[in-house]
Amino acid sequence: MNTPWQRRAITLGACLSAPFSASLSAEILSNPAISLALDGYYQEGERPLDYRDTGFGLGHTELALSATIDDKFYGKVTTVLESFEGELELELEEAFIQTLAMPAGLSLRAGRFFAETGYLNGQHLHSDAFVSRPAVYRALLGNHYFDDGIRINWVAPTDLYWELGGELFDGAPLQAEDLDHPETVGVYHLYTKFGGDIGIDHSWQVALSWLRNENGQGHAEPHDHVEVAEVVDEHEHAHGARFTGRDLYNLSAVYKWAPGGNYKYRHLTLSGEYFYLNAPFAEDSDPHEPGILATEEHEPEFFDGWYLSGVYQFAPSWSVGLRYGEMNAALWEELEEEGHFHDARIREVEAMVAWHPSHFSTVRLQYVDQRVTELGDFDDQVFTLQYVMTLGAHGAHQF
Amino acid sequence: MRISSKLWAAALMLLASPSVSALEIFACEPEYAALARELAPQAKIFSATTALQDPHQIQARPSLIARMRKADLVICAGADLEVGWLPMLQMKANNPQVRDGQPGIFYAADQVETLDQQTELDRSRGDVHAEGNPHLHFSPERVAQVAEALAQRLAQLVPEQASNFLARNEDFQSRWQDATQRWQQQAAPLRGQAVIAYHSSFRYLLDWLGMEQVGDLEPKPGLPPTSGHLASLLELTEQRPVMAILHAGYQDPRGANWLGTRSGVPVLALPFGPGDEIEDLFALYDAVLAALLAVAE
Repeated sequence: MNTPWQRRAITLGACLSAPFSASLSAEILSNPAISLALDGYYQEGERPLDYRDTGFGLGHTELALSATIDDKFYGKVTTVLESFEGELELELEEAFIQTLAMPAGLSLRAGRFFAETGYLNGQHLHSDAFVSRPAVYRALLGNHYFDDGIRINWVAPTDLYWELGGELFDGAPLQAEDLDHPETVGVYHLYTKFGGDIGIDHSWQVALSWLRNENGQGHAEPHDHVEVAEVVDEHEHAHGARFTGRDLYNLSAVYKWAPGGNYKYRHLTLSGEYFYLNAPFAEDSDPHEPGILATEEHEPEFFDGWYLSGVYQFAPSWSVGLRYGEMNAALWEELEEEGHFHDARIREVEAMVAWHPSHFSTVRLQYVDQRVTELGDFDDQVFTLQYVMTLGAHGAHQF
Repeated sequence: MRISSKLWAAALMLLASPSVSALEIFACEPEYAALARELAPQAKIFSATTALQDPHQIQARPSLIARMRKADLVICAGADLEVGWLPMLQMKANNPQVRDGQPGIFYAADQVETLDQQTELDRSRGDVHAEGNPHLHFSPERVAQVAEALAQRLAQLVPEQASNFLARNEDFQSRWQDATQRWQQQAAPLRGQAVIAYHSSFRYLLDWLGMEQVGDLEPKPGLPPTSGHLASLLELTEQRPVMAILHAGYQDPRGANWLGTRSGVPVLALPFGPGDEIEDLFALYDAVLAALLAVAE
């Protein structure tokens, strides 16, 4: 108990949690678990809708503290320190409580937390296999969608894993621009997950999600001042999603393989997700004074995006990964008297090799080949050398 | 009305105390599934891992969440062995019975004195466990203590079957004691012998048999063998007699085989838990001792 983190854990433990339990293992959970994730990189080039600049930089520095509060509640806080264009930003990524004692397979979570849409969104960035989230995440979820709200979920008492959940969120990060009267509860989200094993070598999970966004529809009308400048601002650093709409559907699937189910030496993870963003624009043009939009061009009915990823750990300390992703949207641009939609697209291939000498450290080299339409002027190729390391509590990872 | 209230009462009773035939036990490792079978053979027992999987590195898989959701009792080694996956399962399974501190979770390491407890946790020394070595199922004395405590826990969970569990425990303890005496006699030639082993997986076995681990294939706990480290172990085998190089079934044999070929020291892949042909803890000990004795001089 000599490292600073351990000492701090004790001090905080004395302040925040119940008296030390006699049970050693119970003690772990009744004292706050503190962990810090460090992420630093050197990058040649920039990527659309991504926060990493060219050159040396820091990614998400996460400081997390969690503990069981009593026998009924669990609490967790994750703060993120981010450096952007010389400015230090502090963000609360998670600050939630969750029930531990509800009957019948139910649990309730309240506060700020990650929405359970898609496979990656429920996971911390530091556990990702690639440097950045796929383009579709950066475009439709603002990289990582977390929000203030409440969740209830239910796990079925079946051998096949089946979870059903519902979430209500404020919705601010997914709000369209220039809304006059946004709804107070902006996002209603339903999801379900299934999963199981096939023999002892194979495991899988499939999830479906429908996110209704009451404040997601934009108004592409000529008299609305849509800032063209913003459209091409490649350095924009918004935490919200770049493209929003009325309904966001997600289908995700994950498959993992390890010989004999022993993940120590070799394992393969294949994952894929498809996002469909329905009705990005409201059909509310004034019939008596039709906008240019209404007469000359139809607003796009949907945006979408997907990715497929394969990561193979071929030795205890080495893994390689390949990912292909697409994002298809459109930007409204107004020039003088005319407004037009322009296809905005990203196509990206990512290849990475990672060295992880222990559970707690990763050094990753990644190469990206990207084709970007309308979202700014980007290099076709981006190289990143990154480290992600964690210290403090040994966090358990999700499947 | 009356019928439905009776039905409700019956349903509530079913919920309140699981009958032993329906008792669902989730064991983190096969050795604890085997122990549960000794004490509650009628229960539905599920082992989350096999002896060929590294218990440190298990995925919090959907199938395990589903099993834990239904479990009345979860039995694990504890001492942080499952820290990378068990807390995630507990969080996701929404089963209040098996949260830490509840009677539905049982950690073997909490019932005994573990070896090698750390007063200092520094990750530069590898992935070490503060609460001591969790691989305690190779200590017959500790297995007996864990069985005793587990029988008490089962009796607490299903009071109407208490006498049954306690009687089964009596039976197990006497068979275990006899077997322990037999093993100790058999193992006499092993006393004082030196081995090189992978990780501290066999810490309790070596401690019990009076054997000495003079080298570890892992340079630091949790880190794979490096060529430099293997070379230093090879030097060690030239300096002093080493009876065998040990590794568990879930550990990569390459480092051990390299060292075995160069040094001429026999390499033993010891079963780490019940599974395949090894159906219970007795058979596990028999198999491990037979393998060790086969290479003893």
